[in-house]
Amino acid sequence: MDLDSVAPDDQIEVKNRMTVSPKIEEVEVLKETESETKKIRETVDSSEEVRDKIYGIVGHTKSPLSSLLINPHIFDFEERDSDEKIILVARPHWITNLSWILTTIVLIIAPSLLRFVPIINNLPTKFEILGIFAWYLITFAFSFEKFLSWYFDVYIITDERVIDIAFNNLLDKKFSEAKLSMIQDITSRVSGVSQTMFNFGTVYIQTAAEVSEIQFELVPNPEKIIKVLQILRENEEKRGGNK
Amino acid sequence: MFNDLNGYLMLAEKIFAILGSLIYFVFALVVVKQVGTMSRNVRDKINSILISVSYLHLAASILLVFLAWTIL
Repeated sequence: MDLDSVAPDDQIEVKNRMTVSPKIEEVEVLKETESETKKIRETVDSSEEVRDKIYGIVGHTKSPLSSLLINPHIFDFEERDSDEKIILVARPHWITNLSWILTTIVLIIAPSLLRFVPIINNLPTKFEILGIFAWYLITFAFSFEKFLSWYFDVYIITDERVIDIAFNNLLDKKFSEAKLSMIQDITSRVSGVSQTMFNFGTVYIQTAAEVSEIQFELVPNPEKIIKVLQILRENEEKRGGNK
Repeated sequence: MFNDLNGYLMLAEKIFAILGSLIYFVFALVVVKQVGTMSRNVRDKINSILISVSYLHLAASILLVFLAWTIL
């Protein structure tokens, strides 16, 4: 019997190759997936570590009216990428609202003081009613506008960039951003009695981006914000190094 | 003569009040638009309250126009 015709060597070799080669490929793919998973796990671990460090420095706040929002769950902004995580949101210190709050109180009291002015006393009642109504409406609009410009004037630090969003009026929205890797230098300035007493000031972030400087104006605890930015920069450099 | 002058003055005051309240109504509309735009850009817990307040302010401005038109 001719063995080669029954079971030729070449065919057996081909068959062996067909069964063995995919296994090698599978192992290679598995190794790659494992190393990728390891890298992702390391990045997640390091980002969690970074977050813990940041919370250790700045603490936690839950009030939406706070000047510093740490890891806010509900806060969001239009330009955020889907995988971008907000780490810190800062607004000007609440004490910066004091001037317009005092002005509003004076405006509220003013109509009762105007009763002592004889000319206004001589006005017909209907004019007086309309005048007082208009006065309080304008007072409300003044304080509401001031509150809005404080509330929507936000400085955001995410795990990728720093952002400054400011609205001066309906036709003026300012959006400036800089990647964490683009930050070159960070300085802060606390000047004057109120800023020293209440510990708030301006953080200047020099960048290599198109916007050469981003300012976090009159934010509370500028030194803590600087520390947070330093930690994030270090983390960004490590991540850059790993890549 | 004096009554005529007084009547003209009252009419001028009424026109002034109506025009002023109409300008204020336009301003209130701008505020509603402004709050809407801001809330779309920056979303937070109290945005819905702010939007409601802006609409209440608009309603009050309509009331001002109505008062200027009717009681003066």
